[in-house]
Amino acid sequence: MKSMTSRKLRTLITLTALLAALAVFPVSIFAAADDYPNKPVRLIIPWPPGGSNDFVGRPIAAKLSEQLGKQVVVDNRGGAGGIIGTEAGAKADPDGYTLTMTGAAYTLYAPLHDNLPFDPLKSFTPIARLGSGPNVLVVHPSLPVKSVKELIAQAKQKPGQLIFVSVGAGASLHMGTELFKIMADIDFKIVQFKGGGPAMTDLLGGHSQAFICSLIAALPHIKSGKLRALGTGGKMRSAVLPDVPTIEEAGVPGYETSNWWGILAPAGTPAPIVTKLNNEIKAILATDDVKKGFLKYGIEVDHLGPAEFGEFIEKETANWTRVVKKANIRLEK
Amino acid sequence: MELFNNLIFGFSVAFSLQNLLYCFIGVLVGTLIGVLPGIGPMATIAMLLPITYNIPPVAALIMLAGIYYGAQYGGSTTSILVNLPGETASVITCIDGYQMARQGRAGPALAIAAIGSFFAGTVCTMIIAMFGPPLAEMALKFGSPEYFSLMVMALVTAAVLAHGDMLKSLAMVVLGLLLGIVGSDVDSGIKRFCFNFFELTDGIGFVIIAIGVFAVGEIISNLSDPEERQVFTSKVGSLYPTLQDMKQSIAPIIRGTAIGAFFGTLPGTGPAISSFSSYMVEKKAARDPSRFGRGAIEGVAGPESANNAAAQCAFIPTLTLGIPGSGTMALMLGALMIHGITPGPMVMVQQPDLFWGLIASMWIGNLMLVVLNLPMVGVWVSVLKLPYRMLFPAIMVFSAIGIYSTNNVSFDVYLAAIFGVLGIAWRVLGCSPIPMLLGFVLGPIMEENLRRALQVSEGDPSVFLTRPISLAFIIATVLILVVMVMPAVRKRRDDIVG
Repeated sequence: MKSMTSRKLRTLITLTALLAALAVFPVSIFAAADDYPNKPVRLIIPWPPGGSNDFVGRPIAAKLSEQLGKQVVVDNRGGAGGIIGTEAGAKADPDGYTLTMTGAAYTLYAPLHDNLPFDPLKSFTPIARLGSGPNVLVVHPSLPVKSVKELIAQAKQKPGQLIFVSVGAGASLHMGTELFKIMADIDFKIVQFKGGGPAMTDLLGGHSQAFICSLIAALPHIKSGKLRALGTGGKMRSAVLPDVPTIEEAGVPGYETSNWWGILAPAGTPAPIVTKLNNEIKAILATDDVKKGFLKYGIEVDHLGPAEFGEFIEKETANWTRVVKKANIRLEK
Repeated sequence: MELFNNLIFGFSVAFSLQNLLYCFIGVLVGTLIGVLPGIGPMATIAMLLPITYNIPPVAALIMLAGIYYGAQYGGSTTSILVNLPGETASVITCIDGYQMARQGRAGPALAIAAIGSFFAGTVCTMIIAMFGPPLAEMALKFGSPEYFSLMVMALVTAAVLAHGDMLKSLAMVVLGLLLGIVGSDVDSGIKRFCFNFFELTDGIGFVIIAIGVFAVGEIISNLSDPEERQVFTSKVGSLYPTLQDMKQSIAPIIRGTAIGAFFGTLPGTGPAISSFSSYMVEKKAARDPSRFGRGAIEGVAGPESANNAAAQCAFIPTLTLGIPGSGTMALMLGALMIHGITPGPMVMVQQPDLFWGLIASMWIGNLMLVVLNLPMVGVWVSVLKLPYRMLFPAIMVFSAIGIYSTNNVSFDVYLAAIFGVLGIAWRVLGCSPIPMLLGFVLGPIMEENLRRALQVSEGDPSVFLTRPISLAFIIATVLILVVMVMPAVRKRRDDIVG
């Protein structure tokens, strides 16, 4: 009951703030968040620099600095698939001065790990989802299949023979691959590599046949004809590969595999600050600059506010818990 | 002819004032972080990556590349002077480089490292320009079975690394293999020997072990024995190599360059394995292997050429296929992607200024480095005259900063301290840490590739013998074993006859 009212309240605040933002944009003023920020804000990116989290997070940090009038400093803290940096973010003071970038891996932490140093559903207050980008199913051209249906037929004919590469047990790409196996009702081998680079090398060399990977990693190889794209993992076709069907329309109803990016604050961060940040971020995401910038990496702006983002995280976590159970993946003994 | 035109075009790009400046900044920063123990090119490039948002992509890549290969030049400096590897690939240089310094020959050691690196850099720039794309295609022929057989060959050859007690060396190799197991198992995701520390799930960093064992261990054991230190600082001899030194170094430099170029082109191997391999080859090729470990100049010339060659050739798969061979190369690709350039086979065609400009800048950068480093030899040698009460705390501080900056996690610094204590224990027990480091580097690559190969072949080990490249490595391994065992057998027979 109590949570219901607080959620309603939050929605109300969001709406009010939205109206305020629309009225006095670009200087959005909201009473209680008046003096925030009065010092630099830290944005933890729990991954090493140079990856997709950076491509999404850094432009947002730069624009946010302009909007807030205080520097938003990016702090890359990689390690343990994002857990180390996220832990630092969870344990920071809930005052709005430490934010944490997150992505698809976040909703896999709870289903896969027993002793997490934080609770993905409780330790954070979601601020906003920024964007999402589909993964893509690619095959080596030596494999004589031209569509998802043909790939499934091939796998049914020779169960357990096809070799899919992936980027390490429990990674979001690996779980997307397991989900494909379950939903297409086929059997194939999944060979793991430490990261996307080595997996892609193995596939390009023709030592394996298929890979469900991020669109941006596969794009140059699709364009040069070294890999064949069978389907993209989003609900709709990707703007960068308009001729390639989604995996769903190509024969696996209900299947989706994509990455997303969002920003979290420690649980207990005052609502006015959360609202203010979301409003600023929403305005930033609406600019052509950011839209075009994201699209270069095959990422589309896909904003969700605090409440909807929270629901999204809960729903995704529940989904993956089922998949993890069904695929029987256990990272702890 | 087309190559000639391309190179001229490349030089015209690289010779712009702006690009020359960024190249110089890159190699200067590279040399500096190479000298500083712990701070490696990966951490530096990661830190500088955001700055490159505001620089044109060609200039950004030229600078970052300069940092990467510049670090290979600087890395040998502290290895030679104070027995601390400034860079992971310079670990092996400690063995003979430091011994040369103790004999008052720090100058020649430093000079030959720079000369060898320059030769390797020049040759590899030519290799990238002439054979880049076909070499990258060849590297793709290496699947899991090939990598496994290659690593077996490397590990078997490692037996020559052992000086002194064979059993102790073997024990250290096994210890290295075990340390390499720590972390998430890539296939099942199960955490091995992590003791609930999430900081250990990515495994122990090479830098942490190397700095712990060498920097911390060396300093503590030196403090316990101050007399020994004073002896060799007083006799710093000639700064430059003699004609005899140069003659002895020519063959190792050429062999080192070839070895480095080979490993550099293969994604996932890198400069450390190259310098290890080069050292093993030099020790095997030497007429008197017993000189190794006692200040043989070949033991500096070979590995230092090899690691620079590998650093340079690592750009082959990165630039021509868009495949990062290592974490540092992934960052380089990240730098391109920041500017919206999708790395891949198309870069050469769509961005010729970037491809050929970078190649030309590499040669210019190598020239800058040798000009920068040779006159610096005298300055570096004078570091040896610094009192230890200043030198040691400085090294400790820089080491700690370097380790911390890799992941921004203080856990790593504590871990290095633990390895420092272990380092002293091994020193007291007379166990060389080099075989341990080799096991640590090769172990995980071997394990991963063995399991992948067997997973694909459904447990059939004949896959290592039916694939031609893999078979070639296995045959070579057997030959190496025979050659190594033969002298022992012949000696015993002589003993019986005699």
